[in-house]
Amino acid sequence: MKRTSPANHSSRAPIALVCSGLLMLGACASTPPAPSANLQAAQQAIAAAERGEAARYAPGELGEAHAKLTLADTAVTEKKMVLAEHFADQSRAEAELASAKASALKANAVNDEMKRSNSTLVDEMKRGSGDKQ
Amino acid sequence: MNDTNHNGQTVRSALIATAVAAILLAGCAAAPVKPDGAMEARAKLTQLQSDPNLASRAAAAIKDADLAVRAAEQPEPNKELAAHRVYLADRKVDTAKALAEARFAEDQRVALTADRDKSRLDARTREADAAKGQAATARAEGAEQRAAADQARTDATAAQLAAANSEQQAAELQRQIDALHAKPTDRGLVLTLGDVLFTTGKADLKSGATGNLNKLATFLDKYPDRNVAIQGYTDSVGSEDYNQALSERRAESVKSYLTAQGIGATRLTASGKGRSDPVADNDSASGRQQNRRVEVVISNPPAALR
Repeated sequence: MKRTSPANHSSRAPIALVCSGLLMLGACASTPPAPSANLQAAQQAIAAAERGEAARYAPGELGEAHAKLTLADTAVTEKKMVLAEHFADQSRAEAELASAKASALKANAVNDEMKRSNSTLVDEMKRGSGDKQ
Repeated sequence: MNDTNHNGQTVRSALIATAVAAILLAGCAAAPVKPDGAMEARAKLTQLQSDPNLASRAAAAIKDADLAVRAAEQPEPNKELAAHRVYLADRKVDTAKALAEARFAEDQRVALTADRDKSRLDARTREADAAKGQAATARAEGAEQRAAADQARTDATAAQLAAANSEQQAAELQRQIDALHAKPTDRGLVLTLGDVLFTTGKADLKSGATGNLNKLATFLDKYPDRNVAIQGYTDSVGSEDYNQALSERRAESVKSYLTAQGIGATRLTASGKGRSDPVADNDSASGRQQNRRVEVVISNPPAALR
């Protein structure tokens, strides 16, 4: 009995620890702070995308970024902070994609215009030289 | 009791073992199964990384996407978290691709700008060449026109010179004529040589009285297109035949003097008019002196003299 008693005691201690740990985790899970940094980053990314004419060149991605941000805000009001953080991060990723797509489309549009004007110039030159020679 | 106790213990340990095994099995089963969509994200990333035009561009974004794909590939029992990671990975790969495309387009623009500059330069060169050609043509035409103008100027100058020359000549002629004291008449320029050249009754020219005749000779020498009619006149003293003969001899005398001076005989005609056509009254001595004369009529007076 004397042997079993310390054994029993020692086996109960980890259980208590695990229980308290679980309780603490549960407490943390139930009232985590709002992911304000992630939300702010998403807002900034959306603003940057809008400055980069994403509304014109990548309206789908920009709309998705707005939608994800709204979902994140809703999750915050519902105290679902992990979900809120995920939506905020997704919103940011979507907004950054919108910016990148807008950049690529604009750059290609400029190139296309240059190619067109170059070929026009070459055509005119050929015609011009044809007339003169 | 001991048996049952032992049995109970074996059952319990078996249960634990089963549970552990189950947990281990579950762990093993979950490990190779990647979350849905992770493979697709990896495939897109691999494609981006193997694109020679894009792989070297947007390196930071590609590295970021690679990290996100690796995170998405981690087995995750939390379906929401797994889907979230896949979502992020997918968007980051797309973002990296778009950024690389934008960079690629910007890099192409350098070449396009060079192309455009070259095209413009070519166009300008051609324009310049064409303009040069036109300028050369224009210059050639200009040179021709200048030459023509020069020629015209030369001609004009020549004409002016000729005009000046003829004016000069005319003036010179006029001076000569003035020197001869010739009078323009209907018959032409008439030079009257008084009887002072001749001894009374003789046809020989007085020596030392040939000054006026020398001037006439010079004049005729200078104007070889002029012909001369030499007409002798007398006063009414003496018979008609005598006077006629005398007037003829005197005219001949003048002619031979001029011939001796080198004037061609064919240009000279001599004739006697006798007592006809008196220029003054024969009643007075001074009148008769005026009537005794030789008139030299110079034909073809130049237009300038009229």
